[in-house]
Amino acid sequence: MSMQAMIDEWYPVGLFSQLDRAGRKTALMGEPIDVACDADGNARVTGRDGRALPVRVRYGHVWSSLGEPKKELFPIPEADQPGRRFVDVGVVRVRCSPLRAVENFLDIAHFPFVHTDILGAEPHTEVQNYKVEIREEEDEVWATQVKFYQPQAAKSASGGITTEYMYRVPAPTCSVLYKTCPPRPSEWDVITLFVQPLAEDLCDVWPWMALFDDETAMTDLIHFQQTIFLQDRSILENQIPRLLPLDPGMEIPTRADLTSIAYRRWLKRHNYTYGAQLVAQ
Amino acid sequence: MPSDTTGFWTPVALSRDLPAGTAMPARTASGSIALWRSASGRISASADRCPHRGMRLSHGFVRGEALSCIYHGWSYDQAGHCLRIPAHPGLAPPETIRVATYDVEETGSVIWVAMGTPASKPPRLDGLVPLRSLTAFANIAAIEAAAGAKASPDGIVEIDASTGTISLLLSPQDGQTLIHVLLKGDLGPAGAIGASRAAESLRRRAEGLQKKEVAR
Amino acid sequence: MKLYDYILSPSCYKVRLMAALTGVKLELRPVDFHPGAEHRGPELLALNPAGSIPILEDGDLILSESSAILVYLAAKAAPVWLGNGAAREAAQVQQWLSFSGRLTASLGSARLHEMLLRPGDIAALQAQGITALRELEAGLVEQGLHGKRFLAADRPTVADIACFPYVALAPDGGVTLDPYPAIRLWSRALRALDNFIEMPGIHRLHELKPEPHIAPGEA
Repeated sequence: MSMQAMIDEWYPVGLFSQLDRAGRKTALMGEPIDVACDADGNARVTGRDGRALPVRVRYGHVWSSLGEPKKELFPIPEADQPGRRFVDVGVVRVRCSPLRAVENFLDIAHFPFVHTDILGAEPHTEVQNYKVEIREEEDEVWATQVKFYQPQAAKSASGGITTEYMYRVPAPTCSVLYKTCPPRPSEWDVITLFVQPLAEDLCDVWPWMALFDDETAMTDLIHFQQTIFLQDRSILENQIPRLLPLDPGMEIPTRADLTSIAYRRWLKRHNYTYGAQLVAQ
Repeated sequence: MPSDTTGFWTPVALSRDLPAGTAMPARTASGSIALWRSASGRISASADRCPHRGMRLSHGFVRGEALSCIYHGWSYDQAGHCLRIPAHPGLAPPETIRVATYDVEETGSVIWVAMGTPASKPPRLDGLVPLRSLTAFANIAAIEAAAGAKASPDGIVEIDASTGTISLLLSPQDGQTLIHVLLKGDLGPAGAIGASRAAESLRRRAEGLQKKEVAR
Repeated sequence: MKLYDYILSPSCYKVRLMAALTGVKLELRPVDFHPGAEHRGPELLALNPAGSIPILEDGDLILSESSAILVYLAAKAAPVWLGNGAAREAAQVQQWLSFSGRLTASLGSARLHEMLLRPGDIAALQAQGITALRELEAGLVEQGLHGKRFLAADRPTVADIACFPYVALAPDGGVTLDPYPAIRLWSRALRALDNFIEMPGIHRLHELKPEPHIAPGEA
């Protein structure tokens, strides 16, 4: 589908900590780009014919755009909170639509079957009702009061708990998840999925986290998140059609899918259709 | 092979390769299907796509008489009706949630799936004992050329091996061919291994011919 | 015994799986393979100059190469996993242990390329992977004709554990497992073993647990 509406958005294109002078070749929506740092350590992104693309460095990652973003990169206030640990989980490439990758991240009904005995387990499969809205001012999708019983919700949890979640979609290929933080029950752990669309059916996924956890080793935190994402990857590469259907008919949601229904509606409203398919093609 | 205009049977797998309580992917002229055998032994073939979020059902799991999708555990009966949605345990799934199914027959230890509405039953393959299935990156013409024989109307090419005649039941699959190796009776392990290796040799020859054909 | 381990490494998983199946307790020392490339850092290179993981430390013994580690675990804890000791079976175990290196080089490298962006000639790697899978399929068919469900015997050995992970994860590298019925049945037999553990990319066999019954009032 057309990428027009998504051209002026920000996308992750690399880890800031791994930038070098030589640069790394990657792509955004079919266009080859180069991501490097200059002699002063500043990130530089160049597109086709060497044109300079806009750059931001935020949340451990380098962000860029093929167009002219009208908004700043979305805020995550927790990223500035003292005491948090920031985790660069590392890139994973998936042969799927960038929109499918985001939608899977928003879903909880799959926990007992895909993340068995980690994020969920039979017979605790019921998804209780939760709230979803499109917040008009920020123009973001939000799901709140999401609850799910989990045998081992986080590295910092000592046993099974009912985890509370909030989900947020601040950009077409990014999602932020807020989950119960066992060491600090009044705070939220923040786990993000930043998705770089390489093609309509190929993406690089850059997960990132901002956590309150002084106990767990960094490598363990990375591995826990990689485990979860790798379990999802084999689902993502086997969904048909590859492109996310934005019109009803092909796929049948239920009440457990309220977040994904809102996400698809929000995508369609904005014409964010790169990686999607509509009935009238 | 198509023998009438209303429909035909396609041999998708050997019975021995689908034990009770298991599911596997199979390919037909119209794409991938989820082939599965219930706990009681009944075979079903459904479209390889869960109507929830499009996950391949062939990756699912069989419990009792139902096939469940690996993604969210939605389960389906042999007629394709959705029986249960684990996210909503108390809900009776609406009739609209269904997967398309295909007619299946199991004869001669071969599993056949109907494309369209065949006028008759699948071929009987009397006296033939299935050995194994293998897939070749070659079309039927290349296999016939490698075998030095044409396929019969039922899709069987015969080759001679030191152990006797081997029947290859062919099923075209979009540029590839699924080959079911059938033996005329019990050859014992040594004979069967010889036949298996003869089939592999044929595949090598056919794929070599196919490559040359493509390179021309 | 201490295992230098990466949760996403199929070679490390061979060791974790073997330990689980034989009841061996391992202390896991996680290595930041990706994105940190810790396996090529000074501490781990000092232990294993090859720069690979898994590495097993048992007292003053340091072992690299997953096949060697599997043999060590079996020899110490469950020698039946090495085969029956006869020349024929020992040789078949060794044949498939050697073969498993080709699975790592082909399917493993294809997976690293497709998933973790490592360099490689992906078409060649996938073609080599298909060749290897076909050989494995033929081998399993022939074993089946001898009445044996596993690579070297009618019970699993280290040969099966050495071959299983990269085969099961072939789709990660864009190589489908659809055309191999004997591999599918063998993989299922391994996944149904008591004390089997998964790794990310290998799903639990949910059919092994019956449909859960929820009492009224239970969520």
